[in-house]
Amino acid sequence: MNARSQTFELTVEGRQVDEAVASIFHTVLFHRSLGKFRYKQEGSYSVGTVGYEDVDCDFIDFTYVCCSSENLDQTLKREISGFSEALRCNDGPGSGQISLEFFQKKKNRWPFQPECIPWEVWNVRLELIKLTTEHERQVCREKVGDMLTDKILYIAEIMNRHEYVPKMPNQSELDLIFDTTYPDVQPYLFKLSFTTSGPTNTSVGMTMKKLIKETLSL
Amino acid sequence: MAAVKLGIQDKKDLDKFTKFLALKAAQIIVQSRLGEKVHTKCKPHSSGTDWFNLAIKDLPEVLTEAKKVLCGEVATAQLPLCVEISLRTVEGDTMMLETWCLGMLPDQCDPSVRITYTVYNRMSILLKSLVSVTRCTPAYKLSRRQGPDSFVICYRIYVGEPQFHNLGEGYSQVRVGQLSTPVGTLQLSVAYRTKMTISPQHTGRDTSIMLKSDHFRPDLSPRIVTRKESVSSSVLIAEENTTSLSETIKVGAFADNSRPPAPPGDSDLVFPDVPFSSLLLPKQQSPPQGSPLQMPILTAQFSKQETITNTAINTPLPDDNSELSSDSNGNVTPRAISASNSRRSSCSLASANEDFIMVDLKTPFAGSNANSDLGAFYRECQSAPPLRTFQEVPTLAQQVEDLTEQLEAFESNMAAYDEVLGQLCPHLPTDTN
Repeated sequence: MNARSQTFELTVEGRQVDEAVASIFHTVLFHRSLGKFRYKQEGSYSVGTVGYEDVDCDFIDFTYVCCSSENLDQTLKREISGFSEALRCNDGPGSGQISLEFFQKKKNRWPFQPECIPWEVWNVRLELIKLTTEHERQVCREKVGDMLTDKILYIAEIMNRHEYVPKMPNQSELDLIFDTTYPDVQPYLFKLSFTTSGPTNTSVGMTMKKLIKETLSL
Repeated sequence: MAAVKLGIQDKKDLDKFTKFLALKAAQIIVQSRLGEKVHTKCKPHSSGTDWFNLAIKDLPEVLTEAKKVLCGEVATAQLPLCVEISLRTVEGDTMMLETWCLGMLPDQCDPSVRITYTVYNRMSILLKSLVSVTRCTPAYKLSRRQGPDSFVICYRIYVGEPQFHNLGEGYSQVRVGQLSTPVGTLQLSVAYRTKMTISPQHTGRDTSIMLKSDHFRPDLSPRIVTRKESVSSSVLIAEENTTSLSETIKVGAFADNSRPPAPPGDSDLVFPDVPFSSLLLPKQQSPPQGSPLQMPILTAQFSKQETITNTAINTPLPDDNSELSSDSNGNVTPRAISASNSRRSSCSLASANEDFIMVDLKTPFAGSNANSDLGAFYRECQSAPPLRTFQEVPTLAQQVEDLTEQLEAFESNMAAYDEVLGQLCPHLPTDTN
């Protein structure tokens, strides 16, 4: 089965990375999280209620909504800041991509691990820019805010196409579809991963610098 | 019809779901415009009021309003349901910002869809999308900046076709989402204003203040005093300025004001459309027309326009900073909000900005040394400098000496001249003969 894939491209300043990614992924996860399931008896369950909260960005002219689940927020923050650090650690303008992948597990024969089958992938590709003046920053925070508005509208459009999502499982198979580790919400199983192209460029540059320096010192 | 195939229970359920979808959508929209950040808690056990597994508070007032218009028994028949969001200033001016609309498209239906499960869950997703999208339209940022001494956001819930004509020119329409049911497709959409300018007739009295020439003296300006008193929305101020600015533009600092003197038959002017002609006109005609007043007015208008632009774009910031501390999360977002608003208002200034290119032209007549530039040029043309030949006039003695020299030279060359004549003359007699 092929997973649906959406890619957003954004050009941001280094300090906007975390908020730009969080606003997109939180909006997606808000749509892809349900209330906690409580099974009464086989075939019958009740669903909890998902709360939500507004988050104002510090470095972007934007407010987004996320599930009011501290643990979910922490998971996301941790992953995103890993990406942000990797992206921003090098001096030059870097670029990178972070992905939010929804998957379902398929049980395998012992002793194999269950197979993970992705069904929806959201990519955010970021290009870093360096700004020098406060005026440029002001323009940038508005511009990125406007771009995120477009992304949120697009996410809403995708969500309301009602394309494939895994079927509601039996109680025994709940963990194959949903992440049940959160006490307050029940998102579909997801994972985050990222790649950055910045560091490799720098390492090549550093090697060249080193070579030149060594040549000169001879 | 597909509706006929629908079971009684399904029909009942669908109607109930649709009704609550409408009620909850109204709550989400209105609550997002209260100017506060919303925070609802997750609940492991849903209660009776927690529809669609989404924790949406029920404001009693909104619930009453929404129920009032949805009084009918069949909710699907009551659609479209509209929630209109508008802005009202302290002065009582109103501006419609957006209209949210939950409608039913009866032509597109999906008889196969399950009511209790699929439709209900899709309604939940639609409401989640609504929650997310309500934070994206321009009215959200405005609503976060509202206050009793600047402007407030109002709402109106009604049943019927959405009214878009009050949204101004170039409003945008966005579909939040839709879902198919056996009786049609439920669709949620929003149309929002993009030009944040209050129409001129409302701000007529303000314009009269704006036209006062002392307005831009910070200590005398009534407007600035007002702003200090009521740490009021700079957004609004920006808008008001925009209005008056566009009005001054309409007056036509260059074109209209300067043209009236033109018709009295100055055919010498070859380029009546060139702004510079307006520079020349009052000067040439001022004695007979008695219009020396023309110049000061023009100048005043120019400097005013310039200052207005600055007010609209820059001054909101200090005010916002003062408001920062009162903001609940204490970050810089409000500042940006206003900046974006000023940006938007400056967008509506597009035509004005084109005219601002001409502001450069103001230097010839606006500055104190205006006459010297143009006058010098004029004088230079009128009294052309004397030729250099006339400046280097030799003395009489030199001239006499020069003459004798010349005569001597001619005498010495007499033979040559005779020769030339001799060469010419033989032909003459033959020709005449």
